[in-house]
Amino acid sequence: MKRYLSHPWLTIRVQLALGAIFVIAAIPKIADPPSFAHMIYNYRLVPASLINLSALVMPWVELLAGLALILGVWKAAARNVIGILLAVFIIAISINLFRDNAIDCGCFNVADRGKTHEQRIFDMKVDVVRDLGMLLMVAQLWWAGKREPDEAPPT
Amino acid sequence: MKQNTIFQAAAIVAAGIILALVANAFASRDRKVSLVGTYPNALKVPAREVAVAPAPVATPVTQTVATTTQPATITVPPTATTTTQPTATAAIETVGLNPNAKKPAVPAPTTTAAPTPAPTREFNAHPDKPYIEIAYNDVKALHDKNVLFLDARRTSVYEQGHIPGARTYSVWESDIDDKVNKLFAERNDQTAQNLPIVIYCSGGDCEDSHMLAQKLWGIQFNNVYVYKDGFPDWQQHGAPVHTGANP
Repeated sequence: MKRYLSHPWLTIRVQLALGAIFVIAAIPKIADPPSFAHMIYNYRLVPASLINLSALVMPWVELLAGLALILGVWKAAARNVIGILLAVFIIAISINLFRDNAIDCGCFNVADRGKTHEQRIFDMKVDVVRDLGMLLMVAQLWWAGKREPDEAPPT
Repeated sequence: MKQNTIFQAAAIVAAGIILALVANAFASRDRKVSLVGTYPNALKVPAREVAVAPAPVATPVTQTVATTTQPATITVPPTATTTTQPTATAAIETVGLNPNAKKPAVPAPTTTAAPTPAPTREFNAHPDKPYIEIAYNDVKALHDKNVLFLDARRTSVYEQGHIPGARTYSVWESDIDDKVNKLFAERNDQTAQNLPIVIYCSGGDCEDSHMLAQKLWGIQFNNVYVYKDGFPDWQQHGAPVHTGANP
């Protein structure tokens, strides 16, 4: 099982998929920072003075980390950055679920979609599950990376 | 984590910061944000609107709520303390356009019972509170009197359709403070500042109009009204709509 989980065939696909997801997620946010700032504001977790800065910087970090994974450059660093971002997203959405503050997560789309409270709460739960799934992908990359030196042929 | 990995991760974040700043510097007016925003209630979870289901038809209730076809909503307004309004000059010079400088007064809880209440309001200045929420009939009455309307939605949305005569004042775009300053320059005496201003956004849980109202109240505009149900309600009433970038 451990060999399958760290097999290069799986690792390269997870790496490409995770990278592509983050690149795709970053593009609409980069294209429309004011709407993404509005999304961040809706979380009610970020101090007012940091909302715009977060809306500007976060998508670019997502884009660069995603591209790094796709291109296979600085893989470990990109994986760690993505892991931290996912953990932040999961915590932020979970806090708002706990507070019953229904929001659009702004993960892949920054447009206000006019959903009801119940629809938003349901979508937030789906978002947490999806992000946990992506966190598992990060774990797979970490696991494979950790085993790489062991599997290298003896010199 | 290896030291090399930490350095590379830091480089990714640093590159992200640089690219973000450069991209924002060259962004178009409606895509740009100011680096430090001023948003009231950024950490405060909004009170949820509680929808009250209409009474069953068979129930002999004679109150207005029972006879309406729409569910009534009870809005719990944000609570805050009332502070003395600073002078206009002081507000501009010392506070800038920071709406946090003045906390909103506690408005009386608004209960929207009937869908079409009669326009009975006197639209007098109310320096003790940043805004008063009004419904369609009052909005229409003010529109017919050529009162200034401000559209707090995004400029791109404004261009798709807005209330005729309304100016675009998106609170999320970088030029909002310039626009508010310009309005202050236009209405720089007390009499002009006490003229009614109506602000709207998309209704529902949209707060942009409330945020803009607080900005205006922070610099002495004492007669601001928020169209609670916003532009969708205006359209539902079949009122005229103007498209394009001009008011």
